[in-house]
Amino acid sequence: MLAKEDLAKYPFLQKAAAFIEGRNLSISDLAGPEFSNVVRRAVERVRSSILGEEVTTETSDPETEILSYPLALAFVYASKITWLVNRFATSEAKRCEEELRKEPISKLEEIGNASFGWKVEANPISLEWEKLDFRLGVWQYLEVAPQFHSVSWKLTNKYLNGGHVYLKAKDFARLLAENLKLRIVRRASEEEIRKFDLPQLLMPHLEGLLKLAEERKGTFEEEAPQGLVDGAIPPCIQAIMGDLASGKSVSHMARFAITTFMINVGEGVEDVLRRFGNVADFDEGKARYQVEHIAGMSGSRTKYSPPKCDVLRSFGLCVNPDRTCSRVTHPLRYYRLRLKDQRRNGGVAQGAKGGGGRGSA
Amino acid sequence: MIRHLQFASARALKEYLEVKAPANAYYSSAYYDTPSAPDMVGKGWQGADLVFDIDADHIPTACKADHDTWRCLDCGAAGRGFPPAACPKCGMKKLETETWVCEECLKVAKEEAFKLIDDFMIPDFGVSQKEIEICFSGHRGYHLHILDERLRRLGSDGRREVADYVRGVGLDPRDHGFREIAREGAFLGPDMRDGGWRGRIARAIYAYISKCTEDQLRQVVKSAAVADTICRNRAKFLENIASDPPFWGGIKGYSLESVVRIALAAAAENACAIDERVTLDVKRLIRHPNTLHGKTALRAVRLDYSELESFDPLRSAVAFRGGSIKVYVKGMPRVRIGDHEAGPASSVEMEVPKAFGLYLICKGAAEPRS
Repeated sequence: MLAKEDLAKYPFLQKAAAFIEGRNLSISDLAGPEFSNVVRRAVERVRSSILGEEVTTETSDPETEILSYPLALAFVYASKITWLVNRFATSEAKRCEEELRKEPISKLEEIGNASFGWKVEANPISLEWEKLDFRLGVWQYLEVAPQFHSVSWKLTNKYLNGGHVYLKAKDFARLLAENLKLRIVRRASEEEIRKFDLPQLLMPHLEGLLKLAEERKGTFEEEAPQGLVDGAIPPCIQAIMGDLASGKSVSHMARFAITTFMINVGEGVEDVLRRFGNVADFDEGKARYQVEHIAGMSGSRTKYSPPKCDVLRSFGLCVNPDRTCSRVTHPLRYYRLRLKDQRRNGGVAQGAKGGGGRGSA
Repeated sequence: MIRHLQFASARALKEYLEVKAPANAYYSSAYYDTPSAPDMVGKGWQGADLVFDIDADHIPTACKADHDTWRCLDCGAAGRGFPPAACPKCGMKKLETETWVCEECLKVAKEEAFKLIDDFMIPDFGVSQKEIEICFSGHRGYHLHILDERLRRLGSDGRREVADYVRGVGLDPRDHGFREIAREGAFLGPDMRDGGWRGRIARAIYAYISKCTEDQLRQVVKSAAVADTICRNRAKFLENIASDPPFWGGIKGYSLESVVRIALAAAAENACAIDERVTLDVKRLIRHPNTLHGKTALRAVRLDYSELESFDPLRSAVAFRGGSIKVYVKGMPRVRIGDHEAGPASSVEMEVPKAFGLYLICKGAAEPRS
């Protein structure tokens, strides 16, 4: 059975919503003095997420904890800042995963079934030396798992049998938490939420949070990379560059990947065209048109982004992944991370060889 | 191409097709609020079927040397068979190809369809036979639709995972039961009776080791000593991994790393050759069942699973039965349509059954003569 303490830990459960409905409270009621604790706790939750601090569950007063969750969400959605929504979703998912990992199998099963309409079975099977504690429908798994970029989360590397994906308890907890994050983020683009405005009485709290978010956001904004820095180029792009330099003809997807990558790190059309110069079937007029199109200078005026890692992998262009690869899902993200590392190490490109590219998640 | 059409009834669609008689007719795999809206936003995407495309063109077969040719548009070099990625003479990629399908190609495509259904969709994905709609495309292969409402809203990322799964993309045997144990060189591995890729890998290794030559194995494990060890102990190796529970580490002289390499090479033969672009598309145009294919004059035929085995596309998909026409054949390999077989032939006039003649005309290999 799920107790009030459980609802405090997992306020996204339908039972938590029912608990709040049972109290017959609206958001504006929470502005009243008798709920000052709830407001304080809600503000604290959002604050911690902005500051990147760990949010822990306050179980001493479960009711306040439960009520503070929808109010914190209200602040976040009313801010209309995508960055803040993502940040809050991430910290809630993290907190939730921490809690879930402490739960026994039976409780985890109960939560799994009571949260997102999933059908989960704690149905351990033993395969040789390992025990897989949970199974859930493959289509439900696929709603969430593509968010993870480690190859061990690929469906290809999961035990899939009879329409069920089998998972270890810790992976199942991770999947549940990630689904929570997705739901919070996706909800933000729903009509009802986009139109949502906070009651006047609560506005001062939101303004304080907005100010803090504005300050913090500045420090997180990443500068647009300026031109190509050698030590920061991901292995996939390096491989294509090598092929081009040796005059090899490369696939359409490879051309698209390298062109979008170079344009996005701030290289000009001429620099890109120079790379293609060695290739036998190079047709400058045509190539120029295509590169300019990708750069958003002609045609649809859309500036294209490089394909993400999953796509490159599907097209067989992901080669020699290194340790940095395991931290990213996108070649541009790799580039920015390595630039940051370089800057931190005083301009020296850090060796990131080895590791085989298998991150934990 | 006329797009964004919406019909109130099957009857209205039929009438439209009768009046317009298009060379090709397609429908979208997507479900929309307003299919006739001219742009994607206005259409309101509700979801899409999961579709697999199996096309003989994507599968290298030996028979392609008999009926396919390619020619480099730059240097004029030409050859037979599966077209190379680039011209072997000048390295250019502008190749003109002439491809035909024969019974062998269609047989391979059918085997691939069975593999997709029997090895992946039913046992791994838990899809039932009646949820699988099969359609002969009218040309080189088969379309498979998975009709399960639960997966209609699956995004492109999720569909990519499904496509990668059946193609074995990103497969890491270490996630499928292989594990080093404390004792140096010793390791554990999966059981052939396991489900999913786990059991498939074990079975693939068994099949591979049963039939490989030492030369082939050396290429795979990149070590003459390891290949020698495994080949000398072949029977023991096979007996060990087939035992219950399996026993992977009983022979000295090779490491987990070698077995992982064998697993990857062997698994490639068990992967399914689909055109992944079709599967990950959430709004793909698909040839409408029961319409004619503009390149063959054959019918796109919808099939039940039970009909697939005995289905002979070059007979059952023939739409024009009876009658004959006179054609001037510019060039063709050996072709069979229905019971009529002819070729190779070039620069010759002949009278042939109507379906045969229309096939050649649609392929651009012949012209009608009166």
